[in-house]
Amino acid sequence: MTQAEIKLCSLLLQEHFGEIVEKIGVHLIRTGSQPLRVIAHDTGTSLDQVKKALCVLIQHNLVIYQVHKRGVVEYEAQCSRVLRMLRYPRYIYTAKTLYSDTGELIVEELLLNGKMAMSAVVKKVADRLTETMEDGKTMDYAEVSNTFVRLADTHFVQRCPLVPATENSDPGPPPPAPTLVISEKDMYLVPKLSLIGKGKRRRSSDEDATGEPKAKRPKHTTDNKEPIPDDGIYWQANLDRFHQHFRDQGIVSAVANRMDQFTFQTQTSSEIVRTMLRMSEITTSSSAPFTQPLSSNEIFRSLPVGYNISKQVLDQYLTLLADDPLEFVGKSGDSGGGMYVINLHKALGSLATATLESVIQERFGSRCARIFRLVLQKKHLEQKQVEDFAMIPAKEAKDMLYKMLSENFISLQEIPKTPDHAPSRTFYLYTVNILSAARMLLHRCYKSVANLIERRQFETKENKRLLEKSQRVEAIIASMQATGAEEAQLQEIEEMITAPERQQLETLKRNVNKLDACEIQVVETIFLLESYIESTVKRQ
Amino acid sequence: MASRGGGRGRGRGQLTFSMEAVGIGKGDALPPPTLQPSPLFPPLEFHPVPLPSGEEGEYVLALKQELRGAMRQLPYFIRPAVPKRDVERYSDKYQMSGPIDNAIDWNPDWRRLPRELKIRVRKLQKERTTILLPKRPPKTTEDKDETIQKLETLEKKEEEVTSEEDEEKEEEEEKEEEEEEEYDEEEHEEETDYIMSYFDNGEDFGGDSDDNMDEAIY
Repeated sequence: MTQAEIKLCSLLLQEHFGEIVEKIGVHLIRTGSQPLRVIAHDTGTSLDQVKKALCVLIQHNLVIYQVHKRGVVEYEAQCSRVLRMLRYPRYIYTAKTLYSDTGELIVEELLLNGKMAMSAVVKKVADRLTETMEDGKTMDYAEVSNTFVRLADTHFVQRCPLVPATENSDPGPPPPAPTLVISEKDMYLVPKLSLIGKGKRRRSSDEDATGEPKAKRPKHTTDNKEPIPDDGIYWQANLDRFHQHFRDQGIVSAVANRMDQFTFQTQTSSEIVRTMLRMSEITTSSSAPFTQPLSSNEIFRSLPVGYNISKQVLDQYLTLLADDPLEFVGKSGDSGGGMYVINLHKALGSLATATLESVIQERFGSRCARIFRLVLQKKHLEQKQVEDFAMIPAKEAKDMLYKMLSENFISLQEIPKTPDHAPSRTFYLYTVNILSAARMLLHRCYKSVANLIERRQFETKENKRLLEKSQRVEAIIASMQATGAEEAQLQEIEEMITAPERQQLETLKRNVNKLDACEIQVVETIFLLESYIESTVKRQ
Repeated sequence: MASRGGGRGRGRGQLTFSMEAVGIGKGDALPPPTLQPSPLFPPLEFHPVPLPSGEEGEYVLALKQELRGAMRQLPYFIRPAVPKRDVERYSDKYQMSGPIDNAIDWNPDWRRLPRELKIRVRKLQKERTTILLPKRPPKTTEDKDETIQKLETLEKKEEEVTSEEDEEKEEEEEKEEEEEEEYDEEEHEEETDYIMSYFDNGEDFGGDSDDNMDEAIY
């Protein structure tokens, strides 16, 4: 784990779980797998704090445990999983676009709580939806259950590994930690529950089961006593499936940008590609270099209902896509009207390359970008050749090449003419190694996100006093409005915040929003680069 | 390499590469030497591209900020123990500030976690239930003695002694769903003149302390 990644993990853990969890988490990421007492000793925190932190981390799937010999349990943190926390808003938004508000809330609950039982999720989501509905209407559990089942069928949520059921045949003492197992076919199996009920509106009534007063606990809390029908079966969000969806989205929009700009019919090629991807969703694993071959007839049958293009037109489009130099779609055979595949690996490569080109263009100018594309296309070029092909004066070309070289976008390849590698008798060729450039850019992205988060925290801390004051004023106004106050009084309260303070608050809000939006953008770039690197590394 | 040793003596100023090949001709002015680290915020040559705005962007932004706020309120957000303030105030004893250090606010499924992670709160409680009954009668006389002491000594000294006990008792009261009578709660939580349930910022003035045996019965 690089320093930049560790720093980013530390900021994320601190922001979402507090300092204690952050300390333990970062320590585990740095040092690898360790048992409980060693963690407590090395970080200097009390054993109880460490236990609490580990419970939280395990609940959220950020730390896994393993039983070693002699009964020692070791805990290991998963740095990459911590970094996924950056993408939570995107996952939730995707669920919203696919399964509307119900799906959005289900995924949100699962992400916020790590893992939950289905009945608990359904109940909570129904309650939340009921809150937002008009008075008198409630959300039925059945509807929420249906959405949940659909999410499970399309693999967006999956079961967590289960505690194996030991049936009294275990002679010795129970193991210090359970070994969790899950079989492939059970992963998306929804238990048969008959959840009947409606969502409850949260009123300030006494028999509210969720809000238990601390001082005097009511003696009869029926919810806690009843056994949950799906006890022990927990669900979590399946992040890989979301990643697959993002990747598909990226490919479809790339095809749309490239091919659909000048056609009359809106977005036909991208629709075709989208259909092909949808058909391969469950059949192709997410790390395969290309999808299973699909025949043109199958594609024709699976096109969405609204599209009434003829078979010939479809074939023409497919040929066009297959001949495109970007090679997103490839033809793998002629049976069934032509067998076509989508080259996932190549597509990711093109997306990563496009990202690199765009970065260079925005950072160094379009002439630099021209040189970069040239070197990319010709693979290896000498300095003189670069100047000639790019049609840029020698001095400027040299300057740009060295600038890109110093930032590691371009690298030098030495080809010696003589065995003693004398510099005057060696060819120096400029070349672009996409994998290493992508890695370098990814590292920079991690640093940028860490900087953005830090700056946002700094800005918020600077204005903490002002923020608290404005929150208090808002609370006062809200309570006064509820009890029916006059306009004049409200005006007076509002004037408690002076005009320059209001200005300051506005500026703060604008800055924080901008920093957050930047973060979201960088996280999208991170996703592209990570997918490309992962796909390349798997193929080697 | 014979030439290397020989080259050192002759032609000291020679470089391993020819200057022309790199692009620095004879007589060209070299850039000035850098004497300090590069500036913290170097001026940008090109303006960055504006951020995408639109419904989707704004929705995701709002979602992100909401999530951040929501996660702080969940029980998974562990706050470090509040450090003791400079002066111990009277109200400290009566204000319960959140979960006490040794326990978790939420209930994980303990079957899925290693056994060593379970924080043993039950033990205290089990001890207490067995010792509870016989201890009650002697406790009252103890309390009476203590009340007499309190009238004479400063309260601060007691707080240190009794606050720990109070915390443990409060913890067992709160974290376990034992059906303890209100009598017990009051009996054991207070080690003072004042009845716990009375202290409610002056709002509740209730007489639910009929069975309190602390006050001397006249």
